[in-house]
Amino acid sequence: MTEKIIALMEEVFKLPAGSISIDTKAEDIEEWDSLAHVMLIGELEEQLGISIPLDEAVEITSVKELVEKAASCQ
Amino acid sequence: MKIAVLSNVNMNVLIRMLGKEEGIEVYQTEGYGNELGLLYDKSSSYNVFSPDITFLIMDLMELICAELDMGQASERISSWFEQLEGALEAGKIYYISDAYLWGYGISTCSVPGIKQRLENMWLESLLGLMEANDNVRLFPYAGFVQGMGEENAFSKKMWYMGKILLGNEAQKNLCSLIVHKAEVERKIPKKILFLDLDNTLWGGLAGENDISPIKLSEDHSGLAYKNLQRVILGMQKQGVLLGIISKNNPDDAMEIIEKHPHMVLHSDSFAIKKINWEAKDKNILESCEELNIGVDSAVFFDDNPAERELVKAMLPQVTVPDFPDREEDLPDVMTKIYHEYFEKAHVTKEDFEKTRQYAQNAERSKLLKSAGGFEDYLKSLEMVMKRENPAANVERFLQLVNKTNQFNLTTRRYTLEELTDIINNPGKRAFLYSVADRFGDNGIVAALIADVSDESAYIEEFVMSCRVMGRHIEHAIITDVEKQLEQEGIKVLRGTYIPTPKNGPVAKLYNELGYTLSSEEKDGRAEYQIQIQIAKRVKRVYYVDICY
Repeated sequence: MTEKIIALMEEVFKLPAGSISIDTKAEDIEEWDSLAHVMLIGELEEQLGISIPLDEAVEITSVKELVEKAASCQ
Repeated sequence: MKIAVLSNVNMNVLIRMLGKEEGIEVYQTEGYGNELGLLYDKSSSYNVFSPDITFLIMDLMELICAELDMGQASERISSWFEQLEGALEAGKIYYISDAYLWGYGISTCSVPGIKQRLENMWLESLLGLMEANDNVRLFPYAGFVQGMGEENAFSKKMWYMGKILLGNEAQKNLCSLIVHKAEVERKIPKKILFLDLDNTLWGGLAGENDISPIKLSEDHSGLAYKNLQRVILGMQKQGVLLGIISKNNPDDAMEIIEKHPHMVLHSDSFAIKKINWEAKDKNILESCEELNIGVDSAVFFDDNPAERELVKAMLPQVTVPDFPDREEDLPDVMTKIYHEYFEKAHVTKEDFEKTRQYAQNAERSKLLKSAGGFEDYLKSLEMVMKRENPAANVERFLQLVNKTNQFNLTTRRYTLEELTDIINNPGKRAFLYSVADRFGDNGIVAALIADVSDESAYIEEFVMSCRVMGRHIEHAIITDVEKQLEQEGIKVLRGTYIPTPKNGPVAKLYNELGYTLSSEEKDGRAEYQIQIQIAKRVKRVYYVDICY
């Protein structure tokens, strides 16, 4: 699942494969701004069927947090 | 092309996507919900950006502040449209979404049919605005949402997180639709659709049986063909010319066309019919010549792959789309052909009349054959020419100056904005002429733009539609223009001929009109002039009554 999520992030942020790892934080990549973040949460739901609760979704700032939240929501 | 998307919900995802599209420069919006403010404020970033096309994609639920009350909603809708109308600029294009009401409280609302009623209210206001402003177009947002389905189009998560109404997939589709509309504004549409008959307009072969066994009916595959004809008839009514290019015995085919009860297209729906056993490329070429339209304006639709390959090989300028394998796909495939090749941003009055006008032209040629001489023929046409108001016909004006290649002295092209400037500029004069004759009204067929800022006026553009060429109308036009300009104090008229591969027919026009050559360049560009006092004595032969 982690790989799938990272691949999806690279797609949403329009980055080449391998640009994002589990240790990446939002502040590390310019493309991960607030708008892209909303798109990412939308894509998680549309593509992978993962629905992270709204208030938690807003707070996520790293790949690690995102993967953990996604795992707990499956 | 510069475009802007304004909305009362967050459209930044869409704007980001549009920014990656080739050939499009998109306005980076400031927030959302201030669309009217941005339009009105002359110094706003929107007006500084100055887009050619503005898309106003409005969410009706937000606009009525989610208050499902007919009275209040009605007030909000009409006031929005009133304010919008005051902010529109003549030289710009505006696409405004129709409404799709989505949100909470609709199904628990006590007003029956509130969704449809509010959507209709919006639509009526929009149609009214379009009628009064021919630079306003409908953006088919409601149909787009229905096509995807609410479940797929809207994303609750993105809405609550960032007031982004549409999900990512819907944003992509909306982006394509906007790009398509922008392309339609820029593209030159095709003019004629050539159609085969057997297994194309109906199933089965004419002449093999009686007329009834061909497949064309109200059910099964016969209905697929009938629906295909319905799509084609809609296109024809918007100004697409239709031609038959078919290998049949003409009597068998015409029997079906004229008598079959389920034929939606009729004999007079077609501008030309070539039902014979000649090669199809030859028939297409001949048809284009007879109708006086370029081969590159033709699309050919035929079920037979061998015929399609032949036409592709012999006439590479003709567009030959693929034919569907399944009969039930025929109407959809034709709808796609319409959007891809024939869709026009704005349909003018002339477009509605097109088939009739081209068919009338064929009758005029017959008269020419029967009349004694050319002059008798011109007299017998009983032509009447009329000056039309450019400001009220700016779309047709734009069409004429930008689409005319043969009778075009300078082949200058203009944007809507430039034409609007010309119409409003006291230093310029724009002339538009319509011509009617005993066979019918040809609509507005000629345009002339003159710079009159000086006593010596300059004709910067003179175009005439090829469907009235060769009738000496240009003599009547120039005489009328000279007369008008003389009254305005002009003493000398100057004009230019700039040669192109297509405007050879008017290379000697100014000579014929009695103008003298003042200079000629190596590339063939020639400058002419005439004293208006001398012009009055030039003998010009025309048989056109001028009516004011």
